[in-house]
Amino acid sequence: MQELLLSYLPILIFLALVVGMSVVFMAASYFAAEQKPDTAKLVGYECGFTPFADARSQFDVRFYLVALLFIIFDLEVAFLFPWAITLGDLGAFGFWSMFVFLLILTVGFVYEWKKGALEWE
Amino acid sequence: MVLQEITFYLFSAIIVASGVMVIAARNPVHSVLFLILAFFNAAGLFILVGAEFLAMIMVIVYVGAVAVLFLFVVMMLDINYVELRQGFLNYLPIGALIGFILLVELVFVLGTRFATPETVGATGAPIPPLSEMTNTEALGQVLYTRYIYLFQASGMVLLVAMIGAIVLTLRERGGVRRQSIARQVARRRDEAVEVRKVTPGSGI
Amino acid sequence: MDSLWSGYVIPGLLILAQILAVLLPVMIAVAFVVYFERKVLAWMALRRGPNIVGPWGLMQSFADFLKVFLKETIIPTGANKVVFLAAPLVTFILSMVAWAVIPFGPGLVVADINVGILFLFAISSLGVYGIIMAGWASNSRYPFLGALRSSAQMVSYEVSMGFVIVTVLLCVGSLNLSAIVEAQRGLWFAIPLFPMFVIFFISALAETNRHPFDLPEAESELVAGYMVEYSSVPFVLFFLGEYANMMLMSAMTAVLFLGGWLPPLDIAPFNWIPGPIWLTAKIVLLLFVFIWVRATFPRYRYDQLMRLGWKVFLPASLLWVVITAGALVAFDWFPK
Repeated sequence: MQELLLSYLPILIFLALVVGMSVVFMAASYFAAEQKPDTAKLVGYECGFTPFADARSQFDVRFYLVALLFIIFDLEVAFLFPWAITLGDLGAFGFWSMFVFLLILTVGFVYEWKKGALEWE
Repeated sequence: MVLQEITFYLFSAIIVASGVMVIAARNPVHSVLFLILAFFNAAGLFILVGAEFLAMIMVIVYVGAVAVLFLFVVMMLDINYVELRQGFLNYLPIGALIGFILLVELVFVLGTRFATPETVGATGAPIPPLSEMTNTEALGQVLYTRYIYLFQASGMVLLVAMIGAIVLTLRERGGVRRQSIARQVARRRDEAVEVRKVTPGSGI
Repeated sequence: MDSLWSGYVIPGLLILAQILAVLLPVMIAVAFVVYFERKVLAWMALRRGPNIVGPWGLMQSFADFLKVFLKETIIPTGANKVVFLAAPLVTFILSMVAWAVIPFGPGLVVADINVGILFLFAISSLGVYGIIMAGWASNSRYPFLGALRSSAQMVSYEVSMGFVIVTVLLCVGSLNLSAIVEAQRGLWFAIPLFPMFVIFFISALAETNRHPFDLPEAESELVAGYMVEYSSVPFVLFFLGEYANMMLMSAMTAVLFLGGWLPPLDIAPFNWIPGPIWLTAKIVLLLFVFIWVRATFPRYRYDQLMRLGWKVFLPASLLWVVITAGALVAFDWFPK
């Protein structure tokens, strides 16, 4: 237990170090360089026009669909990780157990394929 | 171990603070970002209790996938922030009720530990100590064999989710020209080109 | 007081030294990767590339860095300031923290955690955040479109990467990166799992938004995608983060498929060379392929990109998981 935690300690220190370093870096440049903002500089870039509306607009629902499908497949992958490293002990039963699980999800995959959910237009 | 305790209090304090900020932030995008911060620190707490697999899955699934969807939804929808805030008081009673139910559940779970300590070991599969087996392996040993029905049921849940996502969000749009790669590849020369004899002055 | 000194300070400094021994070379290497890319692209286009600053132009990246460092930090008026500045930090920090678990040699690793590969997978799945945050916070059209494209793309290829990692894990039986490298002592996984190696590498191109999948930043239509509004150090952090991610993906490919620090053959002239050098050589080779692809292929169209991810790589890698597991069970080839 103690060893386990100690193996994670360097990551925590690493994280703190990199966060500190990059923030210092940003601040240093902010103070080192001359800051002379004006309206033309600070306006959002739009090929020479001044933008006349908020850029955050609604977009195609397909992006949500991709994100939703990703969550499902990501969970599927999460189920595969412990299985992959213990398959040697589980043997054939473990294999068929996962086979059925994947088969169920393949049904869903075939459904979305046939429905055209994977088509991009 | 002092360091362990310091980290525990650090992580917990950040979770509580960012939890408060999730509901207090004016901008919903900030709320989601604070939620992500809370997830991270929860992962940190999981590591502190030795559940490293759970911690990583927490980051991969919740932060890497679920929160991305949340961000998508709140960033890209035109939400009227002021209107959203006004509903706060209307929903307060129901929110408080749910919070109370959760609290009672937590009390029950912890209560059994103190009231009848002998039942604690009787439920679930015993977890081997970390020195013998990493907890990913311990999970793998039981999940696919001993808990096979629950495992398959979760597969079914995922299937339902997948179909639900498609039924709810898929809209066919007319007039879209799609590329059929199989058809392009299968095309032969004699389908595409025709050689005709053209007699002068008549056209084809 | 004595226990404080020997119990906390000395181990703490030791860890700090290890971290710096990884962090500084990685950051300097990023500068040279940028130079390397410009030079290789130049050679492939029969140009000379940077050759003024320092011998053969070696100092070019440092000169560029100094120049950009002294530029004004511009924060657009419409932008959400905190998120705008946090986005490049997120990208940069994530691309650096991941190096903590990469093993450079037997025992030569900053944090030898049990779930190293999951840590890397988690970090690569967080890469989307820097980009979404930048795209949203800028409140400008090009970054917004770039961020949308990028997040859908990264998310799509991540699934097949997950399956590919699972096939490797099946052949190893551990999530520890050093164990993954050690398992390849006889045979690198690139040989038995060759199709997965190819899928992984192509997905890595898509994950890092590199050519031919650079739609999020396509100069010709989105000018630079999510980075349009950035200047000065925030821009540098994005830039460094992107190249560090490229190196990280190469390192991940090397560890998973090309035997990490192991020499190609465990015989005399090869095993005199220490492990870190072998790993570096493999990373450089893979980076060369990254750049080579950039010089060679035209950009993908977005529908083609999605088709490749969801309709080709996903089923192919899933099928390969089943085939690999089936073969391991049927012939009892499990690693012991």
